[in-house]
Amino acid sequence: MTRLSKEEIRQRLKEVQSLPTLPPIVGRLNEMVADEDVTAVKLGKVIEKDQVLTSKLLKMVNSSFFGFPQRIGTVSNALVLLGFNVIKTLIVTSSIFEVMQASDVGLFEHSLGCATAAGILARRAGIKNPEEVSTAGLIHDLGKIVVRAELPEIYQQIIDQAQKEARSMRQEEKEILGLGHGEIGAMVARQWNLPERLVIPVEYHHRPDRSPDFKEVSACVHFADILIRAVGFGYGGDPWVPPLDHQAWGLIKFSRSEMKEILEELDEKLLELQDFTLNLKPQDEAQP
Amino acid sequence: MQRIPIKLAAAGMKLAKEAATPEGQVLCGAGTELTEDLILRLSKQGVLVLTVEGHPVRLPGEKPLSQRLKELAARFEPVGDDPVLKALKNLIAEYWIVQEKGEEYLRELKGRAGK
Repeated sequence: MTRLSKEEIRQRLKEVQSLPTLPPIVGRLNEMVADEDVTAVKLGKVIEKDQVLTSKLLKMVNSSFFGFPQRIGTVSNALVLLGFNVIKTLIVTSSIFEVMQASDVGLFEHSLGCATAAGILARRAGIKNPEEVSTAGLIHDLGKIVVRAELPEIYQQIIDQAQKEARSMRQEEKEILGLGHGEIGAMVARQWNLPERLVIPVEYHHRPDRSPDFKEVSACVHFADILIRAVGFGYGGDPWVPPLDHQAWGLIKFSRSEMKEILEELDEKLLELQDFTLNLKPQDEAQP
Repeated sequence: MQRIPIKLAAAGMKLAKEAATPEGQVLCGAGTELTEDLILRLSKQGVLVLTVEGHPVRLPGEKPLSQRLKELAARFEPVGDDPVLKALKNLIAEYWIVQEKGEEYLRELKGRAGK
């Protein structure tokens, strides 16, 4: 069995060649945000110079997992409503999701579904900036995408082994790689300078009790992952519902009647999401 | 309650939710019974999907309820002993049964199981 040391894996992932490079605009935006005088309008204008990116971004922000009742028509409007953390993460991960959509529709749908569920849970739990929680849900399995792109033969080994042993992908990742997709995703997300409020839930979505900060956000992403697997929307690499962390559940805990309402809301949004994923087909991409 | 593309809508179906355009413009309220004329008018106004009562259409790739329930149970197998997750599984199953067969059917089912 191939066994890479944590260091070797870190190295491979640091040199990650197989994923699309970050759009150059990210560096420029980071510089701009450091300037206190920058406004959403100024940032929006810079992003809107890239029409393809703008179109992708507006499709994402108008998708049902953010759940704004009215259409968001401009990037500066999106920045005001969703905040820079969300927009930056969507820009950074846009090319990765494109790759994933083409290579692994199941995982793509699982990610969108988890984002949807995380947003619903966060709103009900009264968490500030629920859109950030949705975005953390969207990228929670980033580690799987990275391993698949960078170490495809090992990824296949993990999938095959998980199927053969009827165990979760995470158990096999620990066995084969020595670390789980949460840690891998967080490592890469930190390399991309994504905010900790989003990185920590990615890292601890299977062990939210260990989350050093943003515990409620981690708890929402953890339970959103469980919920979306439970209803069978998308495919996260194995069919199992992951174990529940009761400490995390204690932080957000919903009653039976609340859970019923959550299921109804989720069902409605997943139907809208199906329309959205159909609309994301490549031929429907932005006009140059 | 089922969400269907408007091209699969037929006269006699009843709207479970209001019919609206993708831009959110509401054209027709919940409870309205569809007619051929109404479907045509809604379609011309740009409505793409409708939410109708019951489960009148089997969509391509859609699995029958019995299979969905079987797969639901299988997904929960490794965590079956957890009381919270067990409750979640039962809640999802009940929700699907009500969606497709109605409250009455679930009550009967529970009554039979209780005997």
